[in-house]
Amino acid sequence: MRGQAVVVGVGESAYYKHGRSPDTEFQLACTAIRNAAADAGLELDQIDGLISYADQRNSPLRIADALGLGELRWSATPWAGGGNNSSATVHLADAAVCGGHAETVLIFRALAQGQFQRFGSGAGLLSGGAPEGLSWGLPYGLMTPAHECALQTMRWMHDHGVSQEALAAISLASYANAQRNPRAIRYGQPLTREAYHASRWIVEPFHLYDCCMENDGAAALIVTTPERARDLPGRAVPILATAQGMGPEIGITTFQPRWFPGMYYENVGRMIWERSGVGPDDVDVVQFYENFTGPVLMALCEMGFCRPEEVDAFVANGALEGPDARLPFNTSGGNLAEAYIHGLEMVIEAVRQSRGDSTCQVAKVELSLAVGGPGYAPGSAVLFGPAE
Amino acid sequence: MSRTLGDDFILPRLTPNNTPFFTAGTIQIQFCEDCGHAQHPPDEICYGCQGTNLSFASCPGTGRVESFARVHHPVHPALKDHVPYVIAIISVDGAPGCSVQGNVIHCPPDRVRIGQRVRAVFEEAVDPDTKQELRIPQWEPDDDA
Repeated sequence: MRGQAVVVGVGESAYYKHGRSPDTEFQLACTAIRNAAADAGLELDQIDGLISYADQRNSPLRIADALGLGELRWSATPWAGGGNNSSATVHLADAAVCGGHAETVLIFRALAQGQFQRFGSGAGLLSGGAPEGLSWGLPYGLMTPAHECALQTMRWMHDHGVSQEALAAISLASYANAQRNPRAIRYGQPLTREAYHASRWIVEPFHLYDCCMENDGAAALIVTTPERARDLPGRAVPILATAQGMGPEIGITTFQPRWFPGMYYENVGRMIWERSGVGPDDVDVVQFYENFTGPVLMALCEMGFCRPEEVDAFVANGALEGPDARLPFNTSGGNLAEAYIHGLEMVIEAVRQSRGDSTCQVAKVELSLAVGGPGYAPGSAVLFGPAE
Repeated sequence: MSRTLGDDFILPRLTPNNTPFFTAGTIQIQFCEDCGHAQHPPDEICYGCQGTNLSFASCPGTGRVESFARVHHPVHPALKDHVPYVIAIISVDGAPGCSVQGNVIHCPPDRVRIGQRVRAVFEEAVDPDTKQELRIPQWEPDDDA
């Protein structure tokens, strides 16, 4: 917080369509971590903390042994979930470094949805009966995040008069920005408004292009102190504020009326603005995790960027597309068009914007925001300052 | 009544918390006997007063569509002959603050609306392992409302 911890390195594996990676998920993780260390100019044995997502499959002990990490003094994951964990991992790294619990903390996420099951397939859910927590929805074919987020989005659009064009604007912005990014899986595959509307429905109001991809790849970041960063060759990006938001009424009761519809981002926004002393209008560039387009609009509103009744106008006419947009948004292409590495690739893009090396670079970035996956608790966000 | 998504589609694995909802043939909601709080899904503690004096009670079996979505992509091969189907969130009459998940049936998918009044109907099934009889709540338009 307040720049007492900084990001000094980012790294990725190559990104692949699901099932196309020649490497296993563990190998992808190791590649991203080695690339982040190389980017920082650090030796792997200087890393003394490890953070990942709640459900990550690659044992930190196996990572530490395989890569020859040093004596580990800090390990953590956020609470349950998926992409909602993305910026929360930076919150935990920030806490570790600012609190003096560790000096050089590595964050990683690896996904091989080819090697393992696809999130959106519902595979493995149909044998042996639905366990209690899933039993309320599975027998009704309400079985994936797309279904859950569609129910949230339908009611929100109904209540506030939001149009399908607002959803389209999110997808079109991500695809347009990906055309500048050679890493993006959708690089060279621009999306038109006509193709968006002509694409098949997955679950209304989500067309195919409202839904994130499913990919193989890995991403990693390294967080340390400003003092250590001064001895490293690269530019350090200060963590100005981080936040996780939970509740009221999290997890199993998310469809209950007191909270429905909602994305858990009012409290994330309140905390991130209080802790940083700035507001939505001050931010130069944003990365908003898109599991689906609707939740992005809801999170934008809940964090104070606009009111729901204004959201159609707020995102219309290319307001989110390109480096000179009114609100530069998902500048790497995000989960929809760069790659779906559970949003950690979007945190990396936020760091790149602060360092000035994005493929869709915004001029004079002083405040760069990365927002984790909406709809699932804990929601999370991180605000970066200009590189030093 | 046969099942909307096929008689072989996944059934709930019955537990003390979900057995009333899926077997009674009425809409069963959990209430706190100490403070009157209603909650769904049921749990082992009252979310209103943190007491443990909880029981189930029958609700009238009517409700309101709070949201719905037409599912077109069959996530699982077992669903491919059943799309589009309608998933919905239904607020339950007689249980303040409680909504349940379900399908809206006996209604063309393009006629379902937010705010629509619905009433419960029950699909019969037998657990293949335990042979226990289930009655799965579903929702149809309430033309009397």
